[in-house]
Amino acid sequence: MSLLEVKGLQKIYKGRRGGASVEALKNVNFTVEKGEYVAIMGESGSGKTTLLNILAALDKSTSGTIILDGMNLSTIKDSAMAMFRRDNLGYVFQEFNLLDTFTIEDNIYLPLVLAGKRPDDMKARLDKLVPSLGISEILKKYPYEVSGGQKQRAAVARALITDPKIILADEPTGALDSKSSDELLALFKQVNSMGQTVLMVTHSVKAASHASRVMFIKDGVIFHQIYRGDATDQQMYQKISDTLNLLAQGGEQ
Amino acid sequence: MKIGFYPKMAVSGIRKNGRLYLPYIIASILMVAVFYIMHLMGFSKMLENFQGSGTAREMLKLGTYIMAIFGTLFLFYTQSTLIKGRLKEFGLYSVLGMNRRNLGKIIFFESLITGFISIAGGLLIGIGFSKLAELGFRKMIGLDSSYKFVISGQSVLCTVIVYSLIFFLIFLNAVRLIRFARTINLINSDKAGEKPPKANWFIGILGLLLLGSGYVLALKIKQPLSALVVFFAAVILVIIGTYLVLIAGSVLLCRILQKNKRYYYKTNHFVSVSSMAYRMKRNGAGLASICILLTMILVMISSTSALYVNREETLNNQYPRHINLSCGNEGYSEKYGEITGKVMDEVNKEVEEYGAKVTDSYSYITCSITGYFEKGKLRLDLDPMKMMDDDMLKNMTAIDYDNVTQVFFFDVDDYNALTGNSESLASGEVLACVAGKLKFGNELTIGDETFKVAKRINYKQGDFKHTMKNLVLTTLIVVVDDLGEVASRFNRYTEDSGEKMLEWEWYYAFDTNLDDDKQVILCSQLKEYVRDELYQQKFFAVRCESRAGERQDFVETFGGLFFLGILLSVIFLVSCVLIIYYKQISEGFEDQSRFGIMQKVGMTRENIKKSINSQMLTVFLIPIIFACMHLAAVLPIIHKLLQLFGHNNMPLLLVCAGICVAICGIFYAVIYKLTSNAYYKIVS
Repeated sequence: MSLLEVKGLQKIYKGRRGGASVEALKNVNFTVEKGEYVAIMGESGSGKTTLLNILAALDKSTSGTIILDGMNLSTIKDSAMAMFRRDNLGYVFQEFNLLDTFTIEDNIYLPLVLAGKRPDDMKARLDKLVPSLGISEILKKYPYEVSGGQKQRAAVARALITDPKIILADEPTGALDSKSSDELLALFKQVNSMGQTVLMVTHSVKAASHASRVMFIKDGVIFHQIYRGDATDQQMYQKISDTLNLLAQGGEQ
Repeated sequence: MKIGFYPKMAVSGIRKNGRLYLPYIIASILMVAVFYIMHLMGFSKMLENFQGSGTAREMLKLGTYIMAIFGTLFLFYTQSTLIKGRLKEFGLYSVLGMNRRNLGKIIFFESLITGFISIAGGLLIGIGFSKLAELGFRKMIGLDSSYKFVISGQSVLCTVIVYSLIFFLIFLNAVRLIRFARTINLINSDKAGEKPPKANWFIGILGLLLLGSGYVLALKIKQPLSALVVFFAAVILVIIGTYLVLIAGSVLLCRILQKNKRYYYKTNHFVSVSSMAYRMKRNGAGLASICILLTMILVMISSTSALYVNREETLNNQYPRHINLSCGNEGYSEKYGEITGKVMDEVNKEVEEYGAKVTDSYSYITCSITGYFEKGKLRLDLDPMKMMDDDMLKNMTAIDYDNVTQVFFFDVDDYNALTGNSESLASGEVLACVAGKLKFGNELTIGDETFKVAKRINYKQGDFKHTMKNLVLTTLIVVVDDLGEVASRFNRYTEDSGEKMLEWEWYYAFDTNLDDDKQVILCSQLKEYVRDELYQQKFFAVRCESRAGERQDFVETFGGLFFLGILLSVIFLVSCVLIIYYKQISEGFEDQSRFGIMQKVGMTRENIKKSINSQMLTVFLIPIIFACMHLAAVLPIIHKLLQLFGHNNMPLLLVCAGICVAICGIFYAVIYKLTSNAYYKIVS
């Protein structure tokens, strides 16, 4: 069975006071296997952020089902949603979303504190993560004291520390310079190679080229997808570019 | 651009920021209303025709000035918070092509509108409530009610002028704030990341030390009159200490809590402790100001209410009988007693001629001398007042004012008559008691004279308690076998000016079977005679007072103080609350994104509610807890100060203080609920 199954997902934004409704997602179907690294690409307004928000249970779909590891998201009560998110999902945002009142360390601990974990347990989990993320230097610092790349690594650490079933990343390289982007993408790859499932939404070809599968979303439907197979990052990059060109020219599937 | 453009912008600006403007306008209206009422009662002719309303009106005049000054300060503060909250909006306007002149025009119309609403609304409410306030005031100071409704054009005009001026100043301040902000800063004003404060051990501990030493000083003061300088120092220490403790000490406390991992990494504590640490540096000053204001309210209202409630008892202490006569003279002479004896007979005769009866009378003679108590002896060769003049700073520390002691000598016959005891003393033997800290053994040395203490007595017996007039200085009461003989021995002590140190006093007080009005008439007749007679004989401090005649003065003074206390407290309390409200609202806007992030990371709504509540509770509780601590520390001094008014009822003072704290607390709880709801709405 797949880790994540999305079937017939539809999202309609109702216009207020008789305004026109917008159908952000028409009919989205896909599955993600355990250990996969999937990128979803699309232009602004294609519905990719809506999709991610629904997957992260931050938003509700109009119809369709999402099943994560056998659990149907629509059967989870509103009040239990935050808890579900905390225990099963790791979210990495474009704008990092670290809290400026906390040190980097406390920012990483936040989901664990909310889950009521013990301090030594939290410490043990962090110690396991620190070497691979290269954040040991900045743990005691505040977000305003560190660079964008470091902030994003801290955000990744915060997503990973709960041992989530899936990592959802929303344009994680969007606010980073190219060097930090490269480092972050390498990090995602490394995390994925250790068995962590990653689902990333991006419009950066370079970011997508690290994934094992790329899905293209346009006008609210999954339009096309390509598998890496044995291709290198370079070849993958080429394939994605070609596909995007094709899409831009209005080519048919 | 059309003419109507700026007013329109101004109106929509106010409407869109209703959550900020509404409390501001309400507070302004209240200030204007109270100002009008105070001015009406203090300055207009409304209360002029009532005999003896002078003291109370003076107080209301003073209150009017306080309202003008406080109103200016407070409205300045609130409006600059308002403008700061809207810098972003103004930044957007200036990006869209408005220059500072245009922005100035918008602000001008906004000030005009808020000013107009406040003044007009304030006057309406002021006029509406002026009758109620007048009736309350008349009742308090014991005047008859009047059913005439008064609107004073003079008061209206004065209110309009004063508050127009205040609003104009506020407008200038807003223009200044906009002028010195650059467009780019206007847009990004609230995004500038602030560094979380470091714990400053030095300042935090310094604050605690200052606060502690202020308390110790305040609690150590025994004598309000001579120690006013010390009291003042204590107040300053406590104020500075409060600021430092709330600014640095609170950050320190948060940091210490953060070090304790078991405490810190709990869902409820985690968020609130860290954001408190982040905020306290900025908020500390505001909370300290609120705390000082609250302390002022509590001190003001508990002391004035205690004075007012206790007025009859104070009056009775001061004037034990319907008619009270007294006089004094320098040194001791046999002649004095003869003269006053004659006066007493004459007074009794006049009372009878008036058709009244003297009942329940008492009279006594006492001689007093003041000195400095040291090593079990009362020294008469030191003059503390003079020492203070000579080298105040040096002697401030050398003199312990607790040791400045007043000795009253009584004859054992007077003592027996007043208390109903039947003590008898051998020559050289005395009965003694003390009010104050002074300690003595079986022998008592005053100047060069030594007495053997036969027995310790309690001065609170029968009418003898009325002899204790002065509660400010340490007082020693010595009952001797023959007052004339003892007093003449002290006749030789003189001050540098050549005056005799010993003072002779005579008291005569009695009840009559007359009603209040007749007592006053009788008293004024007696007064004429007594004065003529005694001034001729070079007596001083000649007094002939009826309790009924003094009552009005008491009621009026204490009623006026209490009334003023209530009005000012209301205004101060409203201001406190508004400061807190604005603080929380502006924090709510800051926290919006923060709570958004936390929700994404997995914080439940319930968690958010809990952590908001614990934050709010702390912010609300800190000032009132500190204010209560301050109140507790100054209560002993307040008690001493009230003794100057003749008020000596500590339990009542405590009850009044307790009631004030409770009322403030209830008011506070309501505002807390309202504010936390508003905050929660913003955040979620």
